[in-house]
Amino acid sequence: MRGPALFLPAALLLLLLSGCGSLSLTGLLPYAREIEDMELVRTLGVDGDGTGVAVTASGGAREGEETSLTTGRAETVSAAVLAMQSQGSSYLYFGHVGQLLLGEELARRGVEEPLDYVLRDVEMRLETALYLVRDGTAGQAMGAAAEDGSAADRLEALAEGVGLTADTMTRSVKEVLADLEDRGASFAPALLPDGTLTAAGYGILKDGALAGWTGEEAALGVNLILSRVDADVVEVTPPGQPSAALRVVGARSLVRPVFEGGTLTGLRVECRVEANLAEGPPGQEAAWRQALCDALARVEQTRIQAALDLARTLNADYLGLCRSAALLTPWHKAALLDGTQLEELTLTAQVEAVLQRSYHADG
Amino acid sequence: MGQPQEKTQPHPRREPRYDGPLTVERLEEIFAGCVDFTRRPVALEGESACTLTLCYLGGMVRMERVSDYVLRPLAEDGGLRRCATLAAAMDRMEAGALYNLGVARRTRLDRGVFDLVDGWCLLFFPGERDVLSFFVGTEEKRGVAPPDSETVLKGARDGFVESVRTNTSIVRRHLKAPELRIVEELVGRQSVTAVDVLYLEGLTDPALVEALVDRLRTIDIDGVFATGNIEEYIVPAAHTPFPLVQYTQRSDRFCAGLAEGRVGLLIDGIPLGYLTPAVLGNFLQAPQDKSSAWLLATTLTLLRYACMLMTLFLPALYVAMITFHQEMIPTRLALSIIAAKQDVPFRSGFEVIVLLLAFEILQEAGLRLPQSIGQTVSIIGGLVVGSAAVEAKIVSPAVLIVVAAAGIAGYTMPSQEFSGALRLWRLLLALLASVAGLFGAVAGAAALIIHLAGLESFGVPYLTPFAVSAGREAREHVFLRRPLPQIKDRPPALHPRNRRKQR
Repeated sequence: MRGPALFLPAALLLLLLSGCGSLSLTGLLPYAREIEDMELVRTLGVDGDGTGVAVTASGGAREGEETSLTTGRAETVSAAVLAMQSQGSSYLYFGHVGQLLLGEELARRGVEEPLDYVLRDVEMRLETALYLVRDGTAGQAMGAAAEDGSAADRLEALAEGVGLTADTMTRSVKEVLADLEDRGASFAPALLPDGTLTAAGYGILKDGALAGWTGEEAALGVNLILSRVDADVVEVTPPGQPSAALRVVGARSLVRPVFEGGTLTGLRVECRVEANLAEGPPGQEAAWRQALCDALARVEQTRIQAALDLARTLNADYLGLCRSAALLTPWHKAALLDGTQLEELTLTAQVEAVLQRSYHADG
Repeated sequence: MGQPQEKTQPHPRREPRYDGPLTVERLEEIFAGCVDFTRRPVALEGESACTLTLCYLGGMVRMERVSDYVLRPLAEDGGLRRCATLAAAMDRMEAGALYNLGVARRTRLDRGVFDLVDGWCLLFFPGERDVLSFFVGTEEKRGVAPPDSETVLKGARDGFVESVRTNTSIVRRHLKAPELRIVEELVGRQSVTAVDVLYLEGLTDPALVEALVDRLRTIDIDGVFATGNIEEYIVPAAHTPFPLVQYTQRSDRFCAGLAEGRVGLLIDGIPLGYLTPAVLGNFLQAPQDKSSAWLLATTLTLLRYACMLMTLFLPALYVAMITFHQEMIPTRLALSIIAAKQDVPFRSGFEVIVLLLAFEILQEAGLRLPQSIGQTVSIIGGLVVGSAAVEAKIVSPAVLIVVAAAGIAGYTMPSQEFSGALRLWRLLLALLASVAGLFGAVAGAAALIIHLAGLESFGVPYLTPFAVSAGREAREHVFLRRPLPQIKDRPPALHPRNRRKQR
């Protein structure tokens, strides 16, 4: 027992005598900060107009309290955050930031600076959900949301509701950064700066900046291509047949390359959509059911084509089409990933719809 | 500056304690001032008529036995009257003229003195060097009763009592194998306590028995008045708060341990049986595990392991997360904690450590008081003071919940000694966590594992079978309990002479 008892103080003494300043005890031990002295930031908004950066932080609202908004302005995101810290008595803690909102103007100038801040900051998490504010600033969106609760609560409700609706899927900073690094393009969900932070499709990022927005149809097409459709109700009316409401409950897509004479000429998205009959007249024949499937396939094909057309127009592989095709046909990996330009390819969609069951007793 | 205090000399030992011939005068000299020492002249009639002297210690002998087995035959036996010499009369008495079951001829003073203390009476013959010693001791003792420190739901209710001979008889009734060996050692210079070592010949590792008996022989203390008087001398208890010897008041559990290949220890005056070697897993097994369904027993054992980790680490993790690693707490929980701690003036680490100490104080107060008052103290301390402290914003409710949860988890430990060791380490880990967060807690946990890995109980590593390979079925003896018909072998770590325990 005496050996270890002497060894530990001796080792500590040698460590301190080694002269390495970074190895001092204060450097080794974590920094203590009491939780009650903190203000938890749950949503962070970043705006920029080319002359500087404005960072807006929305604190955690407890029951019966108003959401507090703090804004800091400076040349850089870090400096703006530091400016915010000096405004209140509580320490602003960014370890619980769940959503990062970027204003449209900043996004058009470039998203790399705020994303890089998230990447490098010790408190921020790469799992933070990224949103782009369409036709407005992040500050406006958070201010409007704060009047009716908080932006964090609204966005969390939006994220949780993704599985029940077909609005938009969430994208984390990590996913967007990885996409931008891998293929130079990505996408993030868009919001309107109104009080309820309405979902508004996706913003398409190319070369680190916002390149365009998807419409409603194209946004649904994005979900279909990425097989992320959990629930979507489509009303279809087959020619000469009664109309019905179909609940889309799943989609499985794969991207297949099209070669002509050994040359890559296009990409084809093959999607199988599964739906249930939600509303419609009971006791119909099989032909009617087939007609419903055909009608649904046409609707979904239109949506996917809209998303593909956007990718071709912007020449941005924001959906990772080439990588998906390369995974399906790895022997064509070189042709698909080495500098393929989408604007030179023909992008088509092929959809098969399947009606699984109906909610009627007759099945 | 005073003189430096010199170390006392080693305990001087005199063997034999009383030297010289065994005479009435020497006995009177030794027991001078002892009111219970009695000397009674007894007239022997007949051819060798003379006056014998009977000596005994009042209270240690049963008077009816002295009268009926010794005095009456001396007065009435015709054969004794016809003995020509005192030596012949003595031979006849030893051969059965006096009715005692236990009779011995003594010549040494030392032996005679201890016979008196043990409840024998000595019969002196004038002019003879030899003395006859008869056992007439009283057998006043507590009756066999259910163990009060271990709850028995399904099992034998004949708990150990203070008399070592009664305890060995209880064991004999459970283990009728003639191979059961009982080796006795006397420990304690003043108490001269009988300590019995029990094992099954041909099954238990002889090296284990030898090691235990050797350690008992080296004990040279004043007396055995508490369990620690033996426990701390046979295992390296000075280096650890963790128990290295398992104790039980249940005879069935004790016998099951012997049948497993362990060595038992019974101490006169202490109503407990000890089993060695003991490893960590033994202290997490409850006696009723083998009476419950195997699935239930395994689940409860796993739950106890989870509770062990909870009681050890929960306060430390709380302090580390609240003070250093707030990102680990779910956001909504963090908001609740902030709201609850808003007006509390103390730091989280201080709060936890003070509450842990308060919990110990409350527990100690409850134990030392009579049961009815103890319960009142617990209720007042736990409920009234606790809720008042929360309402007065002296402590935060989260800390109260954490400390209470850790405390309750500690109560699931079947062994009080083990639970006590965990409580000590819990405090240490909380201190380390308040200094260095998770780094401190992890460093403390590493130190704990190193400490446990360095412990041995009679040559068996304490972390067997977790840290030591101990055979294919080792974990079944401490961690998982398969159906009993499937457990064919005894724990291999005990090195039993006969590995197989069933067909």
